[in-house]
Amino acid sequence: MRTNPGAIWLTAVALFLGVLAVTQVRAQDVYSRSLQLETPASLTTLIAGLAERNNAVRDEIVDLRLRTTTARDAISSGKGSLAEAERQLAQLRVFEGESAVSGPGITVRIDGSFDDRALSDLINELRNAGAEAIAVNTERVGPRSWFAATTGGALTVDGTAVNGPWAVRAIGASDVMHVAMTRTGGIIGQFELIYRGTRFSVSKDTAIDLPALRTALR
Amino acid sequence: MTGDTPRGRTRRAHSLALLLPAVLFGLLVTVQWRTQQDRSQLTVRYNAPLLDAASSLQNEQNGLKAQLADLRSQLDEIQRNAATQSGAARELQARIEDLQARAGLTERSGDGVTITLDDSRTASAALKEIDKSICHATDLTDIINAAWRGGADAIAVNDERIVGTSSVYCVGSTIMVNGTLLSPPFALVVIGPQNTLLATYDDPSQLRDIKLRRDVYGLGFRVTRASGLKVGPYRGALNVRYATPR
Repeated sequence: MRTNPGAIWLTAVALFLGVLAVTQVRAQDVYSRSLQLETPASLTTLIAGLAERNNAVRDEIVDLRLRTTTARDAISSGKGSLAEAERQLAQLRVFEGESAVSGPGITVRIDGSFDDRALSDLINELRNAGAEAIAVNTERVGPRSWFAATTGGALTVDGTAVNGPWAVRAIGASDVMHVAMTRTGGIIGQFELIYRGTRFSVSKDTAIDLPALRTALR
Repeated sequence: MTGDTPRGRTRRAHSLALLLPAVLFGLLVTVQWRTQQDRSQLTVRYNAPLLDAASSLQNEQNGLKAQLADLRSQLDEIQRNAATQSGAARELQARIEDLQARAGLTERSGDGVTITLDDSRTASAALKEIDKSICHATDLTDIINAAWRGGADAIAVNDERIVGTSSVYCVGSTIMVNGTLLSPPFALVVIGPQNTLLATYDDPSQLRDIKLRRDVYGLGFRVTRASGLKVGPYRGALNVRYATPR
């Protein structure tokens, strides 16, 4: 049989090509989520998030220690612990959305087309940034609130229609929340690219009043 | 040069036949090389200390949460004992315990559904499709939203209880819930009315994107009816500092 140098070359190249192609596909295929694969920038953001969380837990530990001591002292001096019980009740009612609340915060205004999943993402982002209480227009968002859209395109919070333009108000550290919303590449920036023609604005407020949940949780 | 002889034509055909694989070869080598390049000098230099910092913060958080849980139960104990002293205190204590249960601060058990969400393990996805075959933070928020819509009483994602201040936080490809780093597969335990929950997840208009990616790109998504489920209490901070009741 006559050997053709071209054919040999071709075979060799094709073989090598095949090996490389497989390697490349494999490298993409085995998608790993190991922290080791995160970039330094992502890791730094993660670390900041963890540190912030830890500080919040640490603050609450200090607060609870003090309250435990105060309650113990009050009981041993015969005063009872009604003050602590009332404080705890008030805190839980805020946490559950059962009481109307006031405080500093931010308002995100949305004027134009928007949808329920984006609204849900916005609420998630506000909670990320430490929002303690949130409302969409006059509807308070509770721990079990859900977002949907009617066939007519209106948005609903827990089944109640909320019509645009929307004002999403959140009580919490206004500087932190403002930066979290408006930073480069942040959620508002993403919305502006997706919902072209919709106007988004974020403002800081020194005092926001939010209503209680329409129906208390079961 | 060979001229337009039959031999020359064969040579040219061979050269042309080699051209395409050669170009592809070059392309692949470049892609491969760039993939290596992405893990830049910075990654090599800073990742080890950053990884150490992240894992030590996560460990610290576990310790802090344990301390917090301990303090909560101490205070509860004091309050419960004190509540025996008067009718008003007893009533207050009952309301507190009721609210704690609804807020997700106590363990909850019952029937419901379990949901698994996972990156595709089978697809030999092309570069552009990787994004569609893996799970994202928004998938989790969509699944949680559907659970509340279906009347869920309690939800946990990989043992992290979902409460009023919980959020799904995503950085790079890492997902954090309640400040805890989580990775797929995600196991959601949803306690609530089974039929309504299943009907919500079966509704074709719900979670359309997730179902499509499951069918086309092999994303792992499964909802199963389950009994005797249990979710643990929320262990993080309540964080009520700026909001005051009016």
